[in-house]
Amino acid sequence: MPVRLVEASSPSQVSGTTHGNTLPQPCSLLSVGQAFSGTQNVSSLQKDEAWRVNVRIQGCDLDHGYLCGTMEALNVPMADTPVVTFWEGEIVDTKNYTFFTGKWGATVTGLGIMSRVEDDIKHWTKFPSFPPLLSQVEADGGKSLDLSNYPYVFMRWKEQYFVNVGTDCGLTIAGFYYVCFSCSDGSINGFYYDPNSSPFQKLELKSTNDGRSGFSFSTYELQ
Amino acid sequence: MFGVTVYAVDRSDPYSTQGRSQPGLSYPQTHHLPPTTMPASVASSNPSRPENLIGQLNSTHTSYEAKLKALRDLKNQIIGNRTKKLAFLKLGAVPSVVAILSSSAAAQDGGGDNLEFHESVLVQSAAAIGSFACGLDSGVKAVLDAGAFPILLKLIFHPNEKVADAGARSLKMIYQSKLAPKYDFHQEKDMEFLLSLLNSENENVSSLGASIITHSCQTAIEQQALSEAGVIKRLVALLGGSLIQRDASLESLAAVVKDNPEVASRLVLPENGRELNAVIELMRDKYPRTRLLACTCLINIRNTYVSYLQDSGIKKELILILLELLNDPGQVGDEAPFVLSNLIAEKEGMQKLAFDASIVEKLCENLQKGSFQAKRLQGIFLALADLCSKLECCRDRVLHLKVLNFVTEAFAHDSAEVRAAACIFLKNVSRSVKNLSAGHFMNETVAVPLVQLLYDSCSFVQIAALRAISNVVVDFMAHKSLFVQCGGVKQLVQLSRSMESAVRVNAVWALKNLTFLVDNRCKEEILLELSTSTLTSLLSDPEAPVQEQAFALVRNLVDGTLNSIDYVFGDDGLLLHAIGRQLRNTSKAEVLVQCMYTLSNVASGKEHHKEAVMNQLFPQTGNDKETILVKFLQSSNSQLRTAAVWTIVNLTFPSSPGACGRVTALWNAGIVSQLKCMVNDPCLDVKLQSRTALKQLMMFGDAST
Repeated sequence: MPVRLVEASSPSQVSGTTHGNTLPQPCSLLSVGQAFSGTQNVSSLQKDEAWRVNVRIQGCDLDHGYLCGTMEALNVPMADTPVVTFWEGEIVDTKNYTFFTGKWGATVTGLGIMSRVEDDIKHWTKFPSFPPLLSQVEADGGKSLDLSNYPYVFMRWKEQYFVNVGTDCGLTIAGFYYVCFSCSDGSINGFYYDPNSSPFQKLELKSTNDGRSGFSFSTYELQ
Repeated sequence: MFGVTVYAVDRSDPYSTQGRSQPGLSYPQTHHLPPTTMPASVASSNPSRPENLIGQLNSTHTSYEAKLKALRDLKNQIIGNRTKKLAFLKLGAVPSVVAILSSSAAAQDGGGDNLEFHESVLVQSAAAIGSFACGLDSGVKAVLDAGAFPILLKLIFHPNEKVADAGARSLKMIYQSKLAPKYDFHQEKDMEFLLSLLNSENENVSSLGASIITHSCQTAIEQQALSEAGVIKRLVALLGGSLIQRDASLESLAAVVKDNPEVASRLVLPENGRELNAVIELMRDKYPRTRLLACTCLINIRNTYVSYLQDSGIKKELILILLELLNDPGQVGDEAPFVLSNLIAEKEGMQKLAFDASIVEKLCENLQKGSFQAKRLQGIFLALADLCSKLECCRDRVLHLKVLNFVTEAFAHDSAEVRAAACIFLKNVSRSVKNLSAGHFMNETVAVPLVQLLYDSCSFVQIAALRAISNVVVDFMAHKSLFVQCGGVKQLVQLSRSMESAVRVNAVWALKNLTFLVDNRCKEEILLELSTSTLTSLLSDPEAPVQEQAFALVRNLVDGTLNSIDYVFGDDGLLLHAIGRQLRNTSKAEVLVQCMYTLSNVASGKEHHKEAVMNQLFPQTGNDKETILVKFLQSSNSQLRTAAVWTIVNLTFPSSPGACGRVTALWNAGIVSQLKCMVNDPCLDVKLQSRTALKQLMMFGDAST
């Protein structure tokens, strides 16, 4: 069975604060069944490389700031088949999760150990939709922000296990993605963060729809 | 309704046999007379056999001593022995015993000799009657039908303590049953009588008063009346009494305050709930039953008066006490999981506290101990279901501890309540999208026996199974074909035709979830089983919730690959026309939302798909004064507005060749001006997509001029 990281605590969670109804509203393009495709740039100093990536949303629980789905990487050199992973997302809604990650590894760079918070800010700032929020985030992690009407959704996606290959496939899922989703057109931008990999590997996806001329939405409801 | 005086007293001469209509005591005998009329066969058989004992009680020739002995014998045989009770019941023992009770009661009133004898008879017959009523509804019925109730009621104030005890205990047994006569708290006389019971120094009599309240107090008005009569104060005082009084009082207090915040406040508010400290103390009592009753009482109060017991120390203590009571091998252990459910149901915070205290492990331990009485098994599954209702950590833990293995066994249990409880548990555990994704539920161990429950004889089990299946079929590992193979679809379709709407709606819900992201082969298998005509009739089901699920099913059918859209065009567009019809016929927003999303999905297809949608929205014939699309855009329901906007986005999708014509039609229908009002809609989705739609509509220029 694939390697899973089990978190005992979630320091980035904000408990006990009430902001009324400031959770992000449901955004159709980020709902269950929705698919996205694009690329992940895995370039290093040696070469330029990009994998084709498909993402599908499987589960969504806005009350708990939770999202999950699968990620499929195609034309991966080390693998014979597309590699599929299952990921879980934390939605930065300032109620369940803030912009501060607080886990998943400290950063050690040539400049010494960076604080987690600085790392977070460095990555979020790479999204053009983030700067208007910067000052508030620097002050208190964005706890007092009302993101419910912001046309972008910020998330962290963490791959939890490989669905169709073994852990010896040569790939790693040790890192996580900083993700920014645009509610208006469903485009996704992300940066893969893994202290042991090249920094700022970019993920760029667009909403897809099986060759249709338009958007299609499916539904399920758990009892 | 009844008081001290309302009963028939036989004041006729107890020594006379003339005019007697019922068998009873004979002349006071000073010596034994051999029974001369006894049939030979009876005389030769075992005198302790039920028939013989009853015969002796009935016979006019049996001596006092013999009758008393027979009575004692009968009582000793039936106490704690359900089989014997049933046997004696069947033979008509109860009327005989009640007759003897009645005679002795009457004899007492008439004064006279043999007081001691009559008192012994009263004690033994009351005890026998109590035993018949104990835990046996048929016994209770027989006892009431034979007229025992008023006689017993009179006994409880008897000067002889033993007689009073026997009468009170017997009545308490009756009051444990739903069949007991309902006490009228509104009659002043009756309320006074009740208070006199509560004030009695005899513990059996005072606890009888409490039991009457527990049984009969049902409405808020009754609770109010009891509270005003000062009953609560008396009950609280009984908390400091004997064991019997404490236990009866705890149950009674819970009944008086349950779901009545006003009455509860009279306990909770004075001096910060000082009176309830006695209940809290009893939580720590040495008797397990008392601890359980105290927990139940506190939980009821807290569920009624929400701000009470905010102290997390007490909450944690409640959990730990219940945790320990789960170990009890008897009735207390059977009831403990139900009390736990009462504590944590719908309360995520309490569920977390319970999880942290390792309640999941304890409940699983109980399951592992092996086969239990059905009641306990049901309780454990329901408690586990409550724990897993909201918390992912609980679901994870439960799966890790391999509880699913017990579920399979429970599905085959004799008790319908156990089967249903196992389904409810599975439904809640399978709310875990993470584990659904990992394919933990759609396997042969779980899915196959679960499908079997769709054929269960009890409809509440079927419904519980349907609800669990609704979740389990949301499997992302493409195991849905397993479900089709084990006959699941066939039976779901069958149940979608049920007379019971609860069965229909859950069957269609399960089918809807099954069709989510499913491949075309599976879609075809489903449609083959379901048939377009059945699906069409579900779309116009008399119940709106069924319609809603059916439309959502169609919505899923036309999602996926482009050619999936053709499903609604089959049979001359049967389904498509049904959608169009329902758009105009229904006013239920939830149904309209699914209709519009279905049309929207169709409109994301090719040219002829988009045109077909236009025809449904803007029919050539018909006299729509107002375009329904505009009506939907103006709906107060944000989901409906969203679905309507998406439809327009799809109809005006730039790359499509025929977009221009559709754009013109939409302009003419006033869509553009309507959309312009929506660019700052409070719903983010509507706001953003109205802007997208407007942009697309504007691309073709202002066609209205």
